[in-house]
Amino acid sequence: MRNIRHFLSLATAFATSMTLFGQARPSPAIDFSGWWTSPFHEDSLERGAGPELVDYGGFPINEAGRLFALSYDPSRVTLRHHQCDGYVAPYQVRAIGNSRAWEERDPHTQKLIAIHWYHQTFEGHRVIWMDGRPHPPAYAPHTWMGFSTGTFVGNALMVNTTHIKQGWLRRNGLPESDQATLVEFFVRHGDHITYTSVITDPVYLSEPSVRTTDLSRQPVDPNSWLFACDDGEQIIGRGPDQVPNFLFGQHPFLTEYANKYKLPLLGALGGAETMYPEYMAKLKIATEAEAIAKTRPPQGPEQTSRAVDPDPHDGEIHVWPVRRNVYMLVGDGGNVTVQVGDEGPLVVDSGTGQLADKIIAAIRKLSDKPIQFLVNTSFHPDHTGGNVKLRASGADPSVQGSFFSLQFVDAGVGATIMAHQNVANRMSVASGKGASVAAAGWPSDTYLKERRRTFHNGDGIQLFFEPNAVTDGDSIAQFSRADVIAAGDIFNTTQYPFIDRNNGGSVQGEIDALNDILNRTVYQHESEGGTLIVPGHGYMCDEHEVVEYRDMLVIMRDRVQVLIKSGATAEQVKAARVTADYDTRYGATAGPWTTDLFVDAVYTSLKQPQTRNAAQK
Amino acid sequence: MDLTGYWVSLVTEDWRFRMVTPPKGDFASVPLNPEGRKVAQAWDPAKDEASGEQCKAYGAAGIIRLPGRLHITWQDDSALRLDIDSGTQTRLFSFGPAQSRGGDWQGVSTATWDRPGSPMGFGFLLGPGAGAGQSGGSLKVVTAKMRPGYLRKNGVPYSADAVVTEYFDRFDVPGGDSLLVVTTEVNDPAYLFQPFWTSTHFKKQSDATGWNPTACSAR
Repeated sequence: MRNIRHFLSLATAFATSMTLFGQARPSPAIDFSGWWTSPFHEDSLERGAGPELVDYGGFPINEAGRLFALSYDPSRVTLRHHQCDGYVAPYQVRAIGNSRAWEERDPHTQKLIAIHWYHQTFEGHRVIWMDGRPHPPAYAPHTWMGFSTGTFVGNALMVNTTHIKQGWLRRNGLPESDQATLVEFFVRHGDHITYTSVITDPVYLSEPSVRTTDLSRQPVDPNSWLFACDDGEQIIGRGPDQVPNFLFGQHPFLTEYANKYKLPLLGALGGAETMYPEYMAKLKIATEAEAIAKTRPPQGPEQTSRAVDPDPHDGEIHVWPVRRNVYMLVGDGGNVTVQVGDEGPLVVDSGTGQLADKIIAAIRKLSDKPIQFLVNTSFHPDHTGGNVKLRASGADPSVQGSFFSLQFVDAGVGATIMAHQNVANRMSVASGKGASVAAAGWPSDTYLKERRRTFHNGDGIQLFFEPNAVTDGDSIAQFSRADVIAAGDIFNTTQYPFIDRNNGGSVQGEIDALNDILNRTVYQHESEGGTLIVPGHGYMCDEHEVVEYRDMLVIMRDRVQVLIKSGATAEQVKAARVTADYDTRYGATAGPWTTDLFVDAVYTSLKQPQTRNAAQK
Repeated sequence: MDLTGYWVSLVTEDWRFRMVTPPKGDFASVPLNPEGRKVAQAWDPAKDEASGEQCKAYGAAGIIRLPGRLHITWQDDSALRLDIDSGTQTRLFSFGPAQSRGGDWQGVSTATWDRPGSPMGFGFLLGPGAGAGQSGGSLKVVTAKMRPGYLRKNGVPYSADAVVTEYFDRFDVPGGDSLLVVTTEVNDPAYLFQPFWTSTHFKKQSDATGWNPTACSAR
């Protein structure tokens, strides 16, 4: 009896303490660990066999999202670089296949560090950080799963996700941009999870897209976890610069879905209004003409980019570790790539020069040796502006005491600047017109043919000439062991490619250059990771972003080419708004590189193709 | 968790099944057994109208999926009232004894607060959370004794033996909308070979804008 009383008093005290404890922790952790699968009782055809084309009803897409989807030819998945594209996080949860969740806890404190989700389709592995860590900066890389942080709110796990790759809202071409952010709620009801996703996408959505999905617990291991994929399929005879796409207003299967299910086409074309109950009445009076009008860019003002500027613009230089001994420096206009090691740093591009001293200081923190080599991917001032200062801060001991030192009094004094010969030509020619870079900042080690190579800091480094792309002197720099490519302005995430027609640039050369980058990349898993790409401007990337950029440019070229063949003038091409599905991502109506200037450059380089530079590949 | 107020449905899933009445026999996604398929194939809206059963798609097992607005209020201390403008229906969720005998479209609904598990599994020491005044976690509603109706407007059936279990969750999106998510499990031994799970979401409205009670329609 005494023991029973003792137990009861202990239990009472424990219950009281736990009650108080519970009050202090209104949102206790919820365990989602286990094997899960979806019963597929909603949108089962779409999520299983696949969606039908032009089935966009209920998606709050804006004009750009709709036009992007209508331009999408599903044959695009046969392109080598799209064959293993993964799913973005919110689409992954809705995919067919098994899912597994588990907790990661600190072995010493047992505090919850992360919740992991693994999804069979495309083998997506997601980490939801629960330890309060901040999200990475805007110039950090994007992934299919994005960067997720979670908290328990009430009876739900709430997750915030940023840094997601461009992917699909629905895999019939409905896009989710790389600017999308995600809020999710996971709630457990016994052996069932209700998953709610809220996607905000300033590029392709006019309102948040809300979807809910059910997952059921599987009592035993389904033993089916893999999703084999490689990009080995080949379409014989298709050129590398062909990207299947439909011209605006010419989708060959526009009405197929609507006719099959006896739906008004207007509803199938989606838009925020199609989510609401009132739209049922609209569907009864919708006309074909209203629908057709939505399949082409409307008249009206051009849209501009709604993307986050990845440059902090805070007057500081920010260092992002890329891989091994390679770093990306952000903050002074064009991105700067730095490779360090037991020799002096090799630096690719020098920014605008406004923060050159801070770039030098940042490099000093990475290496105690003077800058030995500076590579210019272009002569443009946002990549060469810091040449003079960076060169002056460095030294090239490889020529000091060599035969060169007998020929040049300043041999080895300062870093050696490497570039294609046309960079030196452009910079020296420009000098008569008041060049932004003094002669001390001109390249002294130039190359003419397709490749310049060196082995430095334990890595093979190759410069590849990309003729008539942005200019007639562009190079990319590849670090073989680090598996990193500094792409210069051939690739960026912030604007349409700056095709500098006055200095030898062309749309076809730019497409070829992007494809040349893609010929040198290898993804690690499901079109992600592997070779990393430092863009001329923008956030750290891998090949997926280059592929999407290449696709965009090919599609632009195709549209303009068709209009040229029909006799359109440059003004008529601009009025046709051929960029309408990409303007909310890359467009500009002000500044040095507007959408109109880009379209002009595409038009003129197709209309008046220039003879390729003498230094051809 | 405050569920009261006006909520508008966001039809972003099963769009073609919900925004228009799908053709007869189009019951994709619903785990109908052979008898259920047979009944679905026999759907005749004219017959429903003639027999005064045009509200068969507006019963408790299907009405949440119909596009419309909800108005949630406390009827009294022990019952939450859910008015639905689509079909002008009312559901009562009783935290105490049932307030109806059932046999109608909305059946008999009993409600509890389904709270997350307590630390270390000692929830039994914290006492039950069944009272109407002890809100927290999900609102769990179990509904039975319904008049047979439709899961979808095109005659996908549920029987008088169906039992509907629903979880009502409210999520407040930081800097955004408040959402109501209703997770529905329909168990029907007569017409389903497994439980039918759906989750349906609504957005909070600040007022009654758009509230538009309509009559039931069989078509």
